[in-house]
Amino acid sequence: MTPEEVAAAPSVGRWFDSARLHSDSEEEKQLRYRLLGDFCEHIGQSPDELVAGLIRTTKAGETAISGKRRAAMDASIDEFVEKSGFTGRDAIVNGNIIRSFLVHNGIFIQGRAWRG
Amino acid sequence: MELKQAMGNRRSIRYFQPDKPVEKEKIQVMLEAANRASRSGNIDYWRALVVYRDELSPDTLDALRVPTTTADLDMAPVQIYWFADMSYADPDNFRRNLKELVKVGALNPSHGWSDAYVDENVVGQIITPMLSDPQVVGWMGTIETGLAICQAMLAAVDEGLGVCLHAINLGTAKQVFKFPDHWVPCWTLLVGYPAEDPLTGGQRPRRSISSMAYVNNLDTPWEEIPAVTERLKAEGLIQNPVDVDKRAAEVRKLAQRFGLPE
Repeated sequence: MTPEEVAAAPSVGRWFDSARLHSDSEEEKQLRYRLLGDFCEHIGQSPDELVAGLIRTTKAGETAISGKRRAAMDASIDEFVEKSGFTGRDAIVNGNIIRSFLVHNGIFIQGRAWRG
Repeated sequence: MELKQAMGNRRSIRYFQPDKPVEKEKIQVMLEAANRASRSGNIDYWRALVVYRDELSPDTLDALRVPTTTADLDMAPVQIYWFADMSYADPDNFRRNLKELVKVGALNPSHGWSDAYVDENVVGQIITPMLSDPQVVGWMGTIETGLAICQAMLAAVDEGLGVCLHAINLGTAKQVFKFPDHWVPCWTLLVGYPAEDPLTGGQRPRRSISSMAYVNNLDTPWEEIPAVTERLKAEGLIQNPVDVDKRAAEVRKLAQRFGLPE
């Protein structure tokens, strides 16, 4: 996906609004768009589909986060980070940028902290 | 630090200085504070397992994560696992400890207590039936452990540490630490030096005590005495609320420092 296509997704707009990322530098914004776009290609889903795929409907008709799919998504993020060649702090930071997108779309997910 | 200041200063700390070790002496202070907590029947309900993060293998640390506790395990140098030891539910323990309390003048004839009462009545009439109810046994063990944890947390604040209670990954913890089945896991307390403002920009929102406490009957809420509220502010128990914008800026800096989602 191109950064423009990523930026146009409603879920990405929600991410930027909620995390107050609009005031970041253009370089930082493009980095986020590119990273998420690359991850979407890795998974084969759009940003909106990433979020929707983690939500399930309970028997009572309420929405809930699927724990199994979230764990699979977490593993996919780690796999993407590794495949992209990120190491050390970059690996943690870039994985957590994708998690930030999910977090601000209502998906409770945590990443590891960089201790270095 | 005065008690009210320590209670007022306590926050759930979620950003720790990962590489600043916690002195064993300070952990001992926490454990002794826990050991001074009130406990019915003077029974030792609580058990604690102190785990130093860097003594764990990376795989074990990974396996101990739960969805709500991931980054925190990376940052906190110490994890204290708290348990309620259900083996306390033995009438002989109560008999022995109650008689000990009679002997040291904690339970006195002025209040109806005697060795004879303990030996001949209380165990058979009260303790044994009480301990036959698993719900009561569970309630008592965990609430008394909670009191111990609370004192340990306040002692930690007094020692300049940060603390936060977290869920336990039961499957992994059981496998790794091999605690017995009669130890009921309560919480993991993460301990370290705060990387964030120890006061987290202000106190967390609390509803007024008049919405939770009543006088004489449930139709009469507790009426706050303004002078007392002012005194508690001066003594540090009641503190200013969070400055949201300032806190948001701090949280973002912390996220950037640790590479966490912003």
